[in-house]
Amino acid sequence: MREFFERRPELKVITYAGKGGLGKTTCSAATAYWLAIKKGKKCLCFSTDPQASLSDIFERDIFGKGVQSFGPGLYVLEIDADKRIADYQEEIRRRIKEMYGLDEIPKEIDEYIKSAAAEPAMHESATYDAMAELLAKGEYDYYIFDMPPFGHGIRMVSMAFILDAWIDKITEARMEAQKYREAIELLRGTVEMEREDMMLKDLMEIREKLDFFRDVLTDEKRSAFFMVIVPEKMAILDTERALDMFAKLDMRLSGIIVNMVYPVSLLKRPDVGPYLRNRIKMQQKYMDIIWDKFGDYIRAVLPMYDREPKGLEMIARVAEDLFGWSPEGEVWWREQ
Amino acid sequence: MAEGPKQEAKAEGKGGVKKALKELIYGMAVHDMVRYALKTRMYLEHLFMLITLGDMLGIPLLPPYYSLRLLPYAVPNIATWKRRLFRERDFTDALY
Repeated sequence: MREFFERRPELKVITYAGKGGLGKTTCSAATAYWLAIKKGKKCLCFSTDPQASLSDIFERDIFGKGVQSFGPGLYVLEIDADKRIADYQEEIRRRIKEMYGLDEIPKEIDEYIKSAAAEPAMHESATYDAMAELLAKGEYDYYIFDMPPFGHGIRMVSMAFILDAWIDKITEARMEAQKYREAIELLRGTVEMEREDMMLKDLMEIREKLDFFRDVLTDEKRSAFFMVIVPEKMAILDTERALDMFAKLDMRLSGIIVNMVYPVSLLKRPDVGPYLRNRIKMQQKYMDIIWDKFGDYIRAVLPMYDREPKGLEMIARVAEDLFGWSPEGEVWWREQ
Repeated sequence: MAEGPKQEAKAEGKGGVKKALKELIYGMAVHDMVRYALKTRMYLEHLFMLITLGDMLGIPLLPPYYSLRLLPYAVPNIATWKRRLFRERDFTDALY
C-alpha cells in the first residue's frame, strides 16, 4: 500500500468498494488516518453510505453534521442525503418565487418538485453531486470515498458518465435554441429577457463540475479504486464481477485488500480447538484461490483483530497494518 | 397657436408613413423568417423541456436532480408545453 501511494504523487481520490460488512469503512478511516497523521496531508474521509458507519468507527455522531476534524489534517464527513435533497428542494422553490415574484409555488410545479425528490436515483445523484462539488472546490490533498455496498462503487463512475453525457446533450440543445433567439432578436430589433443566459450559465456550471469529476475518476494517476475482500467464496465471486465491470468501463482496479485473515500460526497451537481450526483451514483454501486469481492486485492483508476496529487507537493500528504490509518478511497470512 | 396641432398632425403623418413603410418591409421581407424562427425555437424549447422535465408528463427520465435546477427557468412555459403535447391531433395539423 505504502509503495502504491509513493509511486503516485498525483493521487487525489481513493475509493473503497466491496460487499457490505467486509471493512470498507475501516480501510477508508485507516487510509485517511495514515495520510493525515503520518504523512501530514489534508484528507477528507467521506461516507456516502446511508447506513452511516463512519460515526461508529470514529465513535462520534457526525451524521449530517458537516465536516468534522479528528486531528491535524484528518477530516471526516458523513452526509445526510435526505437532508441535502430537502435543502435543495427548498432552494428551487426559493428561486422560483424570487424569479417570478410569487408568494406561493403553483400547485402543479410544487407537486413535480416533490415527486422528483422521491425518485430512487435522487439519492445517488445528490451524493454524486456532493462528491463532485467537494472535488471541484479542491480544498483537500486527498479524498477518500467510502462507497455503499451496492454496485461495487463502479456504478458511481457509470453514473458520472451518464450524468455528464446528459448534461452535455442538454447544453447543446440549449445552445441551439439560443441561436434562434439571437436570430429573432436581430430581425425584430428587440432584446429578450436575460433568463436564457442564466440558464446556460447554470448548465455550464454543472457541466464543468461533472466533467472534472469524471476526468479525475477515470484518470489512473489521480484516482484509485480498492476492493476489500475476505477469504470466502462469495467475496471472491463478487471481486471477479467487479473486475469485469472495470474492464467494461476501460478502467483498472488499483488493488485488493484481504481483510479478516486469521494468522496461520494459530494452527500450531495445541490449545486451538477444532472450531477455529476448521475456519482457518477454510480461509487458507480461499487464500490460495485469491493468490491464484488476483495475485498482482493484492496490496495488503489485514488480520482478524481481537476486537472491533473502533476508535482512533484501533484506526491507527489498522493503518499501521495496512500501510506497513509487504509480501516479504514474516508471512503470517498463508501456510508456507 | 393654431399652427401647433396641425404641425403635430403633419409630423405624425410623416412618422405614420415611415412606420407603415417599415412594417410593410418587415412584413414582406422578414416576418416569415421571424415566424419560422419563432416556431423552430418553440419546437426546440418544448423538446428541451421534454428531455429535462419529461417525468412531469409521466415519461421517466434519468437524473431528476439537475432537472430541478432547471425547473425555475421553465416555469412560464410549462402550461403551453403541456397543452401542445397533450393536444389531440388531426390532419389539419399538417397545414400549419
